Amino acid sequence: MSKGAALLSPPDVATSERRHRFEELYAAHHASVLGYALRRTDNTDDAADVLAETFLAAWRRLDDVPPGPQARLWLYGTARRVLANQRRGELRRLALADRLRADLAASYRPPDFAGGLQDAVAAFRRMPEADRELLALAGWEGLDPGQIAALLGCSRNAARIRLHRARRRFAAELDRHPVSAARACAHVPTGGYE
Amino acid sequence: MNRVSQISPVTDAEMARLVRPGTFADLANEITGTHPASGAPWRANGRRARRRRMRTRLLIGVPVAAALAIAGLIATSAGAPGQRVGPISVGPAKAQAAVLSITRHGRYLYVIVNNPVADPKMYRAEFARYHLDIGLQLVPASPSAAGTLVEESESAGSGSQLQTITARGRCFTGGGEPGGGAAGNQCPVGVRVPVDYRGWATLVFGRAARPGEHFEAPGSATALGEAMHGLHFAGKTVAAVLGMLAERHVTVRHWWVQVQNLPCYAASRRTVPSSWYVYRARPWAPGQVLLWASKTWPVRGCQQPAGSPVATP
Repeated sequence: MSKGAALLSPPDVATSERRHRFEELYAAHHASVLGYALRRTDNTDDAADVLAETFLAAWRRLDDVPPGPQARLWLYGTARRVLANQRRGELRRLALADRLRADLAASYRPPDFAGGLQDAVAAFRRMPEADRELLALAGWEGLDPGQIAALLGCSRNAARIRLHRARRRFAAELDRHPVSAARACAHVPTGGYE
Repeated sequence: MNRVSQISPVTDAEMARLVRPGTFADLANEITGTHPASGAPWRANGRRARRRRMRTRLLIGVPVAAALAIAGLIATSAGAPGQRVGPISVGPAKAQAAVLSITRHGRYLYVIVNNPVADPKMYRAEFARYHLDIGLQLVPASPSAAGTLVEESESAGSGSQLQTITARGRCFTGGGEPGGGAAGNQCPVGVRVPVDYRGWATLVFGRAARPGEHFEAPGSATALGEAMHGLHFAGKTVAAVLGMLAERHVTVRHWWVQVQNLPCYAASRRTVPSSWYVYRARPWAPGQVLLWASKTWPVRGCQQPAGSPVATP
């Protein structure tokens, strides 16, 4: 499939400088973006498409991608949109993601959480989607409230308060519904984009 | 480490090890091999001032239900001369036809692309007329995806203010239903934009591909208008499917085969035994498809993604 690139029309406005910037962006963040996607969907095919779509958008709108660490937030925001499209059944299947799709299908297995973590997985799944995303952005992507605010388009203070409330609700959920290991879902928690 | 961190399905470092060396690089090369946006025409100066003007100038509005309005717009465009696939005519454009339909319903603008083969400059001019900070791109699409919205994105931080307009049943793009079904008949044809939309957005629509041009937005292989429309190929042997394709003068650009459950990988026709079973197909370019084959049937191991070929009535 990768040979298919030869069939694509040659870029007519790309410059080497532009390509260089994209390659830097891609090298720095492709693992983060694919990780973001894979943590929110069990489907490795979808995760591959999210990565390809997100960086296609970045390639097309390179001038809009902020420099430095902000770029990662821009890419997460775009990946978030792509995932939302996917949830609505509007994600296109890109031929160019096929090789990545195959690699992930061959190698990725959702983790099988043991013991008390199964309670956490079950509680996490019961959380409202907005709470799950906040908790995931902080716990999985390691974003601070300021970064979450930039990504979600709210004030830093609002992000901090929402995150605090989400954590409180998650803790309450864990206390309220302890589940036995046998009953807990053994599959990976998704970020709400199933 | 808190509980949420502990239940992370995969870390970035773990994920990077899941992919073979070269795969990421190949993807980057293929992305940069596509046409990038020609600048950023939607990012202009004076956005705030233009928004104020927009509120006073946008007096158009059709006080009917959105779905009805959309159906009317599509019916109008489908009446244009030329090839009629997907929801919209993609053949020779009517010289007089507006390339975009932008109508206002209350607090929202409904943007539908009427003519997916028009010069992108015409779209930019049309958006500019309404002071929308929106860029529109066209990518080569297989026939069933031509004229449909294949990608939308908006500025980070603006939330999900743009909503996709679907004309269910008007086309078959293979997408599932919200909630996990896979009816596949959701047909995204436009986008709803709040009149006070402050961010920028990019819409990518599928356009008819030129001969030899690779489909950046492939639809379902068996959907109406596609090279394999109506063919029940899944579970047939490679020899049988090649016979079906030969009757239609369709060729196979690449093969993917499955060995011992995993992995799938690209292969030439020479490595695909005629007795193997075809289980998946995808449009590649006009008159060309990709086929996936397996030694066994039913196939095991490879994931069958949403949007896999389904025959349409």
